[in-house]
Amino acid sequence: MNNQDQSVDTLLYALKERAKELNCLYRVEELFNISEATVGDICRGIIQAIPPGWQYPDICLAKITVGEKIYQSPDFQETSWVQSADIIAQDVKVGSVKVYYTTERPPADEGPFLKEERKLINTIAERLGRRILHENLKRVFEEQTTVKKQDKDWLSIVDLLKRTDPKLLMRISRKMLNYLCWNGIEEAERLLEHFSPAYKSEESELLKEINRPYQKKAVSNILAISEDIFRIAGDHLSETEILGSIQKWIKDDRSDFLVNILENPGSTLSDITSAIERYHHLTPQGLELPTPREKGFRVALIRRLLTDQSQFINIAKHFIEVDDFYNLLHHIIFPAGSHGKLGGKSAGLFLATQILKKNLEQQELLGDIKTPKTWYLTSDAILNFMHYNNLEEIVEQKYKEIGQVRQEYPYVMHIFKNSPLPPEILKGLSVALDDFENAPLIVRSSSLLEDRMGTAFAGKYKSLFIANQGSKEKRLAALMDAIVEVYASTFGPDPIEYRLERGMIDFHEEMGIMIQECVGTRIGRYFLPAFAGVAFSHNEFRWSRRIKREDGLIRLVPGLGTRAVDRLSDDYPMLISPGEPDLRVNVTLDEKIRYSPKKIDVINLETDSFETLEIRDLLKECGDDYPLVSQLVSILEQDRLRLPGALGSDFGRDYPVVTFEGLIRNSNFIPRMNAILKTLQDKFETPVDIEFAHDGRDFYLLQCRPLSYGAAYQPASIPRDVPKARTLFTANRYVTNGIVSDITHIVYVDPQQYGELSQQADLLAVGKAVSKLNQILPKRQFILMGPGRWGSRGDIKLGVSVTYSGINNTAMLIEIARRQKDYVPDVSFGTHFFQDLVEASIRYLPLYPDDAGITFNTEFLSASENMLENLLPEFAALSGIIRVIDVPEASGGLVLQVLMNGDLEEAVGILAESNEAREIKIKRSQSDAPPGRSDEHWRWRQRQIERLAARLDPERFGVKGFYIFGSTKNATAGPASDIDILVHFQGTAAQKQDLLSWLEGWSLCLSQFNFLRTGQETDGLLDVHLVTDADIAKRTSYAVKIGAKTDAARPLTVGKSKFARHT
Amino acid sequence: MGSQKFNAFEMAQSQFDRIADLLKLDQATRDLLRYPIREYQFSIPVRMKDGTMRIFRGFRVQHNDARGPAKGGIRFHPLETVDTMRALAMWMTWKCAVIDIPLGGSKGGVICDPHELSEYEMEQICRGWVRQIARDVGPYQDVPAPEVMASPQTMLWMLDEYEVIHGGKFPGFITGKPVSLGGSQGKKESTGYGVIFAVREALNELNLSLKDTLASVQGFGSVARHAIELYQQIGGRVISVACWDQSDQATYTYRKKEGINYPELLAITDPFGGIDKRKALELGYEILPGEAWIEQEVDILIPAALENQITSENVQQIHPRVKLVAEAANGPTTPEADPVINERGIFVIPDFLANAGGVTCSYFEQVQSNMNYYWEKDEVLARLDVKMTAAYHDVSSLAKKSRQNTRDAAYMIAVSRVAQACKDRGWV
Repeated sequence: MNNQDQSVDTLLYALKERAKELNCLYRVEELFNISEATVGDICRGIIQAIPPGWQYPDICLAKITVGEKIYQSPDFQETSWVQSADIIAQDVKVGSVKVYYTTERPPADEGPFLKEERKLINTIAERLGRRILHENLKRVFEEQTTVKKQDKDWLSIVDLLKRTDPKLLMRISRKMLNYLCWNGIEEAERLLEHFSPAYKSEESELLKEINRPYQKKAVSNILAISEDIFRIAGDHLSETEILGSIQKWIKDDRSDFLVNILENPGSTLSDITSAIERYHHLTPQGLELPTPREKGFRVALIRRLLTDQSQFINIAKHFIEVDDFYNLLHHIIFPAGSHGKLGGKSAGLFLATQILKKNLEQQELLGDIKTPKTWYLTSDAILNFMHYNNLEEIVEQKYKEIGQVRQEYPYVMHIFKNSPLPPEILKGLSVALDDFENAPLIVRSSSLLEDRMGTAFAGKYKSLFIANQGSKEKRLAALMDAIVEVYASTFGPDPIEYRLERGMIDFHEEMGIMIQECVGTRIGRYFLPAFAGVAFSHNEFRWSRRIKREDGLIRLVPGLGTRAVDRLSDDYPMLISPGEPDLRVNVTLDEKIRYSPKKIDVINLETDSFETLEIRDLLKECGDDYPLVSQLVSILEQDRLRLPGALGSDFGRDYPVVTFEGLIRNSNFIPRMNAILKTLQDKFETPVDIEFAHDGRDFYLLQCRPLSYGAAYQPASIPRDVPKARTLFTANRYVTNGIVSDITHIVYVDPQQYGELSQQADLLAVGKAVSKLNQILPKRQFILMGPGRWGSRGDIKLGVSVTYSGINNTAMLIEIARRQKDYVPDVSFGTHFFQDLVEASIRYLPLYPDDAGITFNTEFLSASENMLENLLPEFAALSGIIRVIDVPEASGGLVLQVLMNGDLEEAVGILAESNEAREIKIKRSQSDAPPGRSDEHWRWRQRQIERLAARLDPERFGVKGFYIFGSTKNATAGPASDIDILVHFQGTAAQKQDLLSWLEGWSLCLSQFNFLRTGQETDGLLDVHLVTDADIAKRTSYAVKIGAKTDAARPLTVGKSKFARHT
Repeated sequence: MGSQKFNAFEMAQSQFDRIADLLKLDQATRDLLRYPIREYQFSIPVRMKDGTMRIFRGFRVQHNDARGPAKGGIRFHPLETVDTMRALAMWMTWKCAVIDIPLGGSKGGVICDPHELSEYEMEQICRGWVRQIARDVGPYQDVPAPEVMASPQTMLWMLDEYEVIHGGKFPGFITGKPVSLGGSQGKKESTGYGVIFAVREALNELNLSLKDTLASVQGFGSVARHAIELYQQIGGRVISVACWDQSDQATYTYRKKEGINYPELLAITDPFGGIDKRKALELGYEILPGEAWIEQEVDILIPAALENQITSENVQQIHPRVKLVAEAANGPTTPEADPVINERGIFVIPDFLANAGGVTCSYFEQVQSNMNYYWEKDEVLARLDVKMTAAYHDVSSLAKKSRQNTRDAAYMIAVSRVAQACKDRGWV
């Protein structure tokens, strides 16, 4: 108890001392920061600052000697209790700092003085030394400028240097010698040859370590040479030339320290930080760098801190200045000896910010764009963390089987979450948290691989929101937890699989972290931005022929941007093309309401959690506090939407609809987005995508990277050598990017025949038949091709009348515009369900078969066998109009591939073998396209189902036949496909019960295995359909699949397993 | 089928021919009424946002205005055709006549795709349309209203242009205006309430006490909602409602055998009439398949959603208790199902009578605008009641007298009224 008290007291005392010392240091620093202060002023200030910083201020006196000048405390007296430090300028002692105690005190580390006081006095002496050097040089320059025109001035400089800074003279002499040689002066060349070997070796050793005896030798040598050199110079060069050169070199010399640090691959981040700090303090005093050197610095810093990708550096060097790093470096947390970088995401944002800041032409739009306060953890901190916790072996995860990786991932996550971060990182985070205060944060991954130009690595690693509320301890714990979770995601199966597919598995991946203040404001118990979203400088989802790709696309949502980033299954973001903001996706009242965002993501500050709310509920609760609400919503008033009036809105009574109408019409949002996208695309020299948010006051840029296409939206390379017979169609208008592959069925509504229908009932029946086909054809493996406008509700003879639910399983919607007499009918761009198509990734393509140079294989479409009657006997009468084509059947085993390239405005639908198609896939414009791996999914399913069938005891379960159909049978199964099986059952109710539970067990089991293989979670993998004799006789329900003409179910051998008895 | 393409106008003509036969109309009257009395086709030049000029094609078809100023919608559709407009104009003439309001029928529009146009360009098209036809339309000639892809906003642009040209205020030139700018109260309620006014009269005739009846409704949009509102207000009980679920892409029937609670359901419904399934379950509603609405044990079926809902396939599932079908939607019964319903002795209030409340209220808007004095909602709805009740009895008594079904009876009344007006004027 006593002991403890004592130790606490000691600790407190020590802490007080540290505080005093720090105060002293701050005061001294302040003195140095006054640029007009002379050395004398500074010394006088230091004399006053020292006593309060030492342990016994009352008996403390100080004395500073600089050359012949002495500064001391009032009533100064020398005693024997003294601590002293020399002031060194250019390796020469030019004075000293001394601290005295007037009375004896108990002995400490150094007499009565503490070791911390030693550090302090040394620091003061060192800073004084630098200042004196600076003053000396300044004086030299001033003298030079005042006597510029006079002859032989440079001689006096050389003279001065000889006396004050022989090392500098040495360096300048060498440069002069080089310069002379450069100018072809023979005398100098001889001198160089003569002295070069010795000179070189000594110089190089000198650079390595400071060693006095060597140095002296060198100095005397060089001084002699230097006289020769300058004599030659005097003979051959003009006065001004010599003077100018010397001046320039002296200036250069002042930044040499930076060169040394930056060019030396061994220097650590902390070396760089202090060098940049020093540079920053020099700058206001007029450190001008010659352009090549400045550029060199920029490049070196970009390479060390941001990325070594030359494409990025090439651009970044034009926009990022050395001083821009100063502030950045103050927000970097790194382990000792760090050589880490900030990672792709951080680099992209940093560059984009600088580009926008330096675009002076559009200042009123770009000038006040902000980036959120951000702290960075360097990429190698993760290694430091793993090393600290002895987790190195986890690095090898990536070389394990993907199944094992997936299985072990929860374990990795668990270990990571229970491992502490190293103390130095912790300290850094603590400082960062003090800086952030209570603002909610987002912890983003910023790995070396992410956001590199030319790779799309979007969304593979985690980004986590934290509320950051409560005590600091709690906040720190939450922050650490989030960081290690992001760390663990590096070893998650998805990114590893992705890297594997793209041949990037051996790339040395490190994970940087961005800790960003979440943009937003507090509304009630929630925290959220007014709105947020993502924007693309290229629009791949054009909804009108008048919109060009270059018009860009914004996905905009109220609240956190998470809902704009992801495709939504239950809601819609607002889509705007900033280049054509007046051409809306949704025009009618019905569309405007149906496709408006209904939900909103927020951070709940009370429960510290991320939540999704209904917007109307949120507005009811706190609509009046919602920032910019009048720009975001319109009010539904009978049959129209109006902007909230000047009198505001009553959200309890009114029906608000999120339209962003006010924002689009009455703010500079659209011009600003345009300016941002255009500027960034222009400077990045590639299309970009950005994330942004607005807190009600300011617009924030959150992320910027080269445009990443999802895998399905890569521009496809268009094969040129496909024979006509295997080309189904070509297109060259309104083409987007992407590949629709492995299509096994085509539903073709013949435009001519459809146009000939005279009864409305028949027209409606076509829509009904298509809707039914949508239910029975294999999902996402068929395409719909039809005249004009799919989903036409007004005049249905102009397009098949279907609702979205009647087409929602198709992979692609094709609208055919055939010339009719003297005009070509319009296509709709899928307007009736455009946003549904976008969110469900259903592709759209218009075809103009009558355009010159366009192929449209009418023969294949009209002559191939029509399966309609077989599939839907009740619609047999429509066989002349609707044609269902089993592609492999009609083409001898080929499938349809639609390859689209928006850059070329070309698309082609070809009949290809699966392998051939895969080769095409690999040859995508992007070199990192995945090699085809899709074979394995159906093969695995096939194997499993064969084994299952073999184990099935037909007598026990009353099974007469067992069939497989759908994607597994068609060899098109993906990682999440289920396995469609058809059981011909003829047993009792009890047997049926038995059979179903037996299959259910298998189903769950297979699902679990599939999860381990692919990471796709499913509720069971088997889709079981039972049919009876009666079904088969009547050909009802799935019984049609047995012996069907198209896509028939394939029988499997049942109960032949040697294991059958054991099951 | 055959080589003849589907043509709405020909369909409308053959429908008319059948009624004309029943009415034994003379040839001149037939020749007059088989075709529009006037048609206008014109070009509308518009300077687009990018500075180029584009010419849009505009139309106005006036089928007949013997009974009063023509009335009909304006459509903006890229694939609009004159024949569609001719058919629609003819149907407007019959509709106004059956409900006995002093108006003729017309239709108009512009071939354009609003999805391809900016709002400014849309405004230019609207104003351009009015400039081309300003002399031949007006409060006492022909009154447009919003239809396909038109909105209160487009109507206001058109009205404004018309008033600029004619140098005055003519709010009666157009209907479908917002209430704050010359629209009528009660417009929301009019169609749904109109259905129930007719249902009330029909039950009276069938000697059923409304308070003892049960109903099943398909749809929960504006028409269905207001029909349910009024029906429950005057004592009926709705036990099931079917509606579309956007997220499931399917329809469901929500049932509560003791009767649905209208305000409670309304609170969990989006503006399209989609009921929140989860919340409905919590409130104790049974959730049945979408088609289940038709097989409920009720007295009244009110299809108030889409066309072609009662078909030859499901007509047999109608419960024996059902006595009345009120067609609140347009064409909910297919021609094949119609005879089955008639055979079973179920009384039908045909669509173009049942949902005539909407056009009646448009007429009231026009009347109020012309006198620049606006009624309270109660007054609008009371006058609507009078009109609907009278129209119902006209149709019902003719049906009895002529032993035709109500659908044909309604047509016969409409056509004969128009024919009579033409005769009286000495046109035929």
